[in-house]
Amino acid sequence: MNPHVILRVVAKMLIPLIALFAFYVQFHGDFGPGGGFQAGVIFASSIILYALIFGMAAAKKAMPPSWVRIGMSLGVLLYGGTGVATWLLGGNFLDYTRFAPESTHAAGQHWGIFSVELGVLCTVACAMLAIFYAFGSRVQDLSDEDW
Amino acid sequence: MHLSPVLFLNIGLMAMLIVVAIAVVRMRSLFAIVMLQGVYSLLSAVWFVSLDAVDVAFTEAAVGAGVSTVLMLGAMLLTDRDVKPIATKQKLGPLLVVIVTGVAMFYAIGDMPAYGDGMSPANAYIGAEYIEATKREIFLPNVVTAVLASYRGYDTFGETVVIFMAGLGVLLLLGLNGNAGQWRAKPNGRNIAKNVTPPRKHIEEAEEKPKVKKTRKAAKPRVRKKS
Amino acid sequence: MTLEIIQLVVSGAFLISGVFFVLAGAVGVLRLPDFYTRMHAAGMTDTLGAEFIIFGLMVQAGFTQTSLKLFLIAFLLFLTSPTASHAVADAAHHAGLKPLLGKFRAPNPAEVKANKVEKH
Repeated sequence: MNPHVILRVVAKMLIPLIALFAFYVQFHGDFGPGGGFQAGVIFASSIILYALIFGMAAAKKAMPPSWVRIGMSLGVLLYGGTGVATWLLGGNFLDYTRFAPESTHAAGQHWGIFSVELGVLCTVACAMLAIFYAFGSRVQDLSDEDW
Repeated sequence: MHLSPVLFLNIGLMAMLIVVAIAVVRMRSLFAIVMLQGVYSLLSAVWFVSLDAVDVAFTEAAVGAGVSTVLMLGAMLLTDRDVKPIATKQKLGPLLVVIVTGVAMFYAIGDMPAYGDGMSPANAYIGAEYIEATKREIFLPNVVTAVLASYRGYDTFGETVVIFMAGLGVLLLLGLNGNAGQWRAKPNGRNIAKNVTPPRKHIEEAEEKPKVKKTRKAAKPRVRKKS
Repeated sequence: MTLEIIQLVVSGAFLISGVFFVLAGAVGVLRLPDFYTRMHAAGMTDTLGAEFIIFGLMVQAGFTQTSLKLFLIAFLLFLTSPTASHAVADAAHHAGLKPLLGKFRAPNPAEVKANKVEKH
């Protein structure tokens, strides 16, 4: 029997919850503490937990390095793209009111903040994973006796 | 002086922070140091909560105690497990810097505004404006998010780019896949990581292979296949 | 009115028992002789104490969203705290840390069986 069976079973239960909590933090950030930075770190930590318990190879299958590479730049592009979109709509850089100028409850601001926070989430989560992959892949998987 | 339970909590937390910091300085084992740094982050997160800075506390708990501990452990596995003892002479310079900075900070405490002072520079001018305008202009209950993403959108853009650059720098230096355990830190040709990468069978085989084959293999990025 | 009193009493009882278990754990960590017994004190009583405290707070919050969040925290602690204790103890065992043994030795099951057979 696998010596880490308890860890594996509990981790299997916890990892979806952690990922879900990351998205709660992301989308609830307008109302409570939280936002893209925290959500990104929490999402990355769910993948890192997976890598710690099931091994680096399994984590790289679940979240391929190419996704990490693309997601990292996609987040910055999304953030900058929001600013460029407000340009194209005739406003200043990152002037979100241009998304819905006639709205009485600042819907444009809400859309802008949503898209910007999504960009932050992408970049932070993928950058953390990239650093973890870069360090973790250099060390071969340690067996229990090596410690 | 007003003695509230919160004051005792704050004093207790500060005392624990100091104890952990001294322990980090005095420790020799890097593993224990990394773990204690996680403890330090958690304690400071609790302290931030008691100062009503929930967003900061959240970030500190997630980044400081969660991810950075794992990243430090990953970095530690590539190097040594213990701190090399440093000669007392080499410690004098840093000690001088620390003492001067500490004295300067204690000197500056007198100019700090009282905690929660409504007339302090942070709260009086632009902070009060943001708090007042968020209700009118953005319709969000969380002022921190409004300031971070909308009023100070440029700054947050810069921060995102900084994190992107950090990830990019690590990727350029180390690569996403490493080279699957065949790498060893050898500063000045010394094999400092002797105990880190115990020779395993497949590595010994890989090293014994003729050189022509090895270079061909190194040219292709080695992704570890499923076992 | 009576409901509020009941709420106060029940949550107070939960909180006091929680504090008792946490204190017991703290005393155990300080007083017990070796790693495994300390682990036992810290892990077990900490799980129970934290759960009791959170349930006390839940009773005080009543049927609100806060209560639901507290329940989720309790659930998470219920899963993670024992697992963490297990992982740490398991790692120590793998690293070859021997538990401190007293004079008493647990009887070997095979010998006990043999003795019983002889007696009959």
